[in-house]
Amino acid sequence: MMSDPAPHAQVVPPSTVVLVSGGSRGLGLAIVTDLLDAGLKVAAFARTVTPELAKLGDVHPERCHVGAVDVTDLAAAQAFVRAAEQHLGPIDGLVNNAAVGQDSLHVHTATADLARIIETNLTAPLQLTRLAVRRMLAQGRRGRIVNITSICGQRGFPGLVAYSATKGAMDAATRSLARELGGRVLVNAVAPGFFASEMSAVLGQTQLDQIVRRTPTGHLTEPEEVVPVVRMLLREQTNINGQVLVVDGAASI
Amino acid sequence: MTELSRAQIRDLMGQVLENQGKVLPDDDAADLREIGFRSLDFSELALRVEDETGEELNFDAAGLRRITSVGDVLDFLAELQRQ
Repeated sequence: MMSDPAPHAQVVPPSTVVLVSGGSRGLGLAIVTDLLDAGLKVAAFARTVTPELAKLGDVHPERCHVGAVDVTDLAAAQAFVRAAEQHLGPIDGLVNNAAVGQDSLHVHTATADLARIIETNLTAPLQLTRLAVRRMLAQGRRGRIVNITSICGQRGFPGLVAYSATKGAMDAATRSLARELGGRVLVNAVAPGFFASEMSAVLGQTQLDQIVRRTPTGHLTEPEEVVPVVRMLLREQTNINGQVLVVDGAASI
Repeated sequence: MTELSRAQIRDLMGQVLENQGKVLPDDDAADLREIGFRSLDFSELALRVEDETGEELNFDAAGLRRITSVGDVLDFLAELQRQ
């Protein structure tokens, strides 16, 4: 029974109610803003709700559900999802964006920090995905998942060992989930290159300058360049499934 | 915990298939492949049973390999509730 082939093709409809983790700043906030601008309903949480995210909730009270939730707190995430579905309707899209960065060589990274990075960047999104997919399946619905990973999952960078391990693991999970969910839920990852933001402070200006020199498009990735790719995966009929789409101006090729 | 009867599970299985425009035959010996009941449909059914009973049903994929008929599905889920 586990190996039965996919039946006749059935299209996964565009997502209409999207859950976004880590939606309070940076790329997460840009994704929430973009999806609301596109007319979707969005449930966004983060450990701390920034004034920017709170404002989106105020401006779109009927279409935006906002809350302060630590993504590693599964019970709190479950409660948030339940409340969001009561407010917005059944969730049929998930963007796993919440993550913590790293700024330390592996030999100098405390054991507790390793555990925290893995819990936040790997265990928590797997749990949130399990929660979302269980709800989709239980209600006989189809859906789409986008995992925000990183070029670090495919290329090596100093100071980002544990972070890279979690991002590569999410890329791998993306492929297996796409297989496991048999086309009923489309699962893809978007792997941005380095942003000129706080997540890349670890590299230092010299290394960032070097990356820019080696990037054919001549600039570091901006959140606004990633957002349309996320929206496409949530909304468009493309047959892209189980893929990791790199958005880095060809820096890594 | 509330335990669903075989007949109640059969009703839920019928709903899962009905949502896809398919029909659950009366015959327990009916082959799952022939009626188009796939592994994800089994997951959906198990989650519907969970919703009714309030208990999470976790199981290894190996247990699903011997399931080939409607009766197998009903037996498996009825048994799983008792574990």
